[in-house]
Amino acid sequence: MGRTKKDRRIQMAPTFSGFKPQGVQCKIGEDVYINFEEYEAINLCDYELLTQAEAAKLMNVSRPTFTRIYESVRRKIAKAFIECSSINFEGGNVTFANWYKCEHCKITFTLPENADKYCPFCKTQVLIENH
Amino acid sequence: MIIAIAADENNLNAFVDPHFGRCEWYYLFDLENLKGLFIENPAKNNHEKAGCDAAELLLGENIRMAIAGRFGSKVVDVFRRNNIQMVIPESQQTLSEIINQLK
Repeated sequence: MGRTKKDRRIQMAPTFSGFKPQGVQCKIGEDVYINFEEYEAINLCDYELLTQAEAAKLMNVSRPTFTRIYESVRRKIAKAFIECSSINFEGGNVTFANWYKCEHCKITFTLPENADKYCPFCKTQVLIENH
Repeated sequence: MIIAIAADENNLNAFVDPHFGRCEWYYLFDLENLKGLFIENPAKNNHEKAGCDAAELLLGENIRMAIAGRFGSKVVDVFRRNNIQMVIPESQQTLSEIINQLK
């Protein structure tokens, strides 16, 4: 049995669940599943234009591992484009860098170090961690 | 405490900008004397590191909290190191709505 995967650190999960091909009546290709670490890899590399070494450091994995994740997501996206499949964001071995949510104010926020865990807007205590 | 809000126009009815580094204006609001001013984002058209330059500028203004629709990973890094709180509203809100919640 293979060694279990180390958790990859990601800044934030995607806020929507995927993509669908336009202009086709029925589903053609098989669905493609992109997991959160792959989403983060393409975000860091191609949207925020970091080098793979920088991105790997941010995600807490080695550079070769990062390249592997990145290759995998590029192939999945290409497959979806060519075969006309929908893309779903799902799963993965990830931990979220510390972000908190306030359900009442509908905001996501970080907390300053050594501060009490309160929502900056309504000042109620933070209940839900991470995301 | 001074708060920086990323804005797409320089008036209080403007919406919070969806991207911290590429917004047109920052609205600096002081919670102690309830005064605010707009400053233009000099880095908005930078090819890269727009967020970093903007973050450095705002650190010079002694902000303690930043509000925008999304923060790039380099900005998150800079703000975390300087112990600045980041806030992301989930719905589209105007500057005045945000300020009313903070007062």
